[in-house]
Amino acid sequence: MSEDVLAPLSGKIVSLSVEPGAVIEEDDEILVIEAMKMETPIFAPCSGTVSKIVVKEGDAVEEDDLLAVID
Amino acid sequence: MKSYFENMAPFGKALKKGTIKRTQSNYEQVLDAEKKILAAVDEVKNAGLPEEKINQRGQMTVWQRLEYIVDPGTWTPLHTLFNPGDNVEGTTNVIDGLGKIAGRWAVVIGFDNKVMAGAWLAGQSENILRVTDLAERLNIPLVWLVNCSGAKLTEQEKFYANRRGSGTPFFRHAELEQEGIPVLAAIYGTNPAGGGYQSISPTVLFAHEKCNMAVGGAGIVSGMAPQGGFTVDMAEALVQKAKEHRAKPPGSVATHYDHTGFFRFVYKEEKEVLDGVRDYMKKLPAYDPEFFRVTAPKAPAFEAEDIMRLLPIASKTVYDFDDILARLVDGSEHMEFRPDYGPEIYTGLCKVDGLLVACIGNRQGYLGKGYPEYADYPGMGAKLYRQGLLKMNEFVTLCGRDRVPVIWFQDTSGIDVGDIAEKAELLGLGQSLIYSIQQSGLPMMLAILRKGTAAAHYVMGGPQANRNNAFTLGTCATEICVMHGETAAVATYARRLVKEKEAGRDLEPVVEKMNALAQKYKDTSTPLYCAKHGMVDEVVGLADLRHYMKSFAGAAYQNPKSICPQHQMILPRIIRDHAAAKEKE
Repeated sequence: MSEDVLAPLSGKIVSLSVEPGAVIEEDDEILVIEAMKMETPIFAPCSGTVSKIVVKEGDAVEEDDLLAVID
Repeated sequence: MKSYFENMAPFGKALKKGTIKRTQSNYEQVLDAEKKILAAVDEVKNAGLPEEKINQRGQMTVWQRLEYIVDPGTWTPLHTLFNPGDNVEGTTNVIDGLGKIAGRWAVVIGFDNKVMAGAWLAGQSENILRVTDLAERLNIPLVWLVNCSGAKLTEQEKFYANRRGSGTPFFRHAELEQEGIPVLAAIYGTNPAGGGYQSISPTVLFAHEKCNMAVGGAGIVSGMAPQGGFTVDMAEALVQKAKEHRAKPPGSVATHYDHTGFFRFVYKEEKEVLDGVRDYMKKLPAYDPEFFRVTAPKAPAFEAEDIMRLLPIASKTVYDFDDILARLVDGSEHMEFRPDYGPEIYTGLCKVDGLLVACIGNRQGYLGKGYPEYADYPGMGAKLYRQGLLKMNEFVTLCGRDRVPVIWFQDTSGIDVGDIAEKAELLGLGQSLIYSIQQSGLPMMLAILRKGTAAAHYVMGGPQANRNNAFTLGTCATEICVMHGETAAVATYARRLVKEKEAGRDLEPVVEKMNALAQKYKDTSTPLYCAKHGMVDEVVGLADLRHYMKSFAGAAYQNPKSICPQHQMILPRIIRDHAAAKEKE
């Protein structure tokens, strides 16, 4: 079963903390979105393996955009 | 009202394994930053002569006196790092805080007799006035440990005169007394002139047998009327006179106990003076906390130390405020007021040591689609918008009615700006909150978790609320300034950049000035700077916040000036009925 990680808000990807293939635990930081001068870290909703990261540093994202997939 | 207060909703989440792992770096940074604060506190504690030297003279230091008189575990220091005059001594020379004596809360303050025998220094009167304000705000006794050699004569222009100079505390003591707040003084050492008034202005004087207090001291060699200057011949004569000068300090126990009776009690040993004050405290009125408790005291369900992981030291990183508050209040339980309105602000009733308190704080992070409702731009926590301001106004007003002391938590970047925000009445709503706070007549405390910025710092229970704010705490992450330094640099130099550019000149000099200004903002908004200049009254460890909340709540409920019967409170009913209606929807 896989879990989609969606952007909770619109903003810019300022850093990525994991790579595809990384084994992560629930609550690990996946990436950080900057918006309105604040940085919102995005945490893993579950433990698993990062099968996909669909964004890169500098990308602009909208609310609900897909960011990553965890298997 | 048991059903309201004993059945509050639990909130907050336990730390997950992943959270602990990823916050380890933050935890270590917080530890490191707090060590630096403690090092600064140690410097103040070690100011002046070594403790051994004072003890060799048969005297206790102010720190030893405090340790002796204050009930163990209750000392709540304030103003430790306050030194706005940048005194070379490293201190304003008074040490103060809240503490229980014989089970009753008092504001306790003493002269540091290790430093120039407790002399008056720059910044001291401002320190003392904050302390008298605190006694007035909380309506609790003020206990002095007097040991004051008078003015540091070489710097008298910095403190002797002026509207809030060293004479003002004597009027303030009289003011406290007129409000029915007693000032008890344990008196040690030689207290001439200013020290004399420090000794005589309190309500009841407990004297050590070797102390004295007087209008003037014995240090002034007689027969030396002003001559318009000094010469070497005069200096030779002075040397002779000084050698012969043997006058005893006036105003000893023989005068002020046996003759005038100003000293109510005299004791042989230093500790006996403090025992005397302690016994006297038992005679003063104080409600048993059970009168006001709404439930039995209960520790939070989570560890206070977790806050060192939950509060990011990096000021741009968002976090969950509720998780922090859950670690500060009894049982990690609350009754949240209007949870579905003004999402950028938390308002709720909590308990601290079984006593009801109102908590208000900034939430962080994206606030969701369509908010603020008056604008076409998104809303971010830490900013204040119309609903949040309205909610705070309503909550504070109802707290006033229900007589619930308020604890504010700030981490704010300011109030929303721009013409859209103006049309949404935010300027008026900010001042309305100031009005609501002022008219509540409630005692309040503030913890600035991270940022205190712009007008939001004022309106959210800031120290500017002189009649309400009892004290303001900072943490190792605190930054207080009117705006971000880079924003200020742009505001200050943007037009200059345009001029230089249009004139074909190099922009580098202006860029240097911009960087210098941004750096200045950084340097003058640090926790140590804020504490030194009184923007906060103390910088405390994140794990110590609850201790200060307990001291505040205990003191605020000891002798409140007005009471609302628990069964006549409106806030708990509004909160419960609103939650029930929401559940039905």
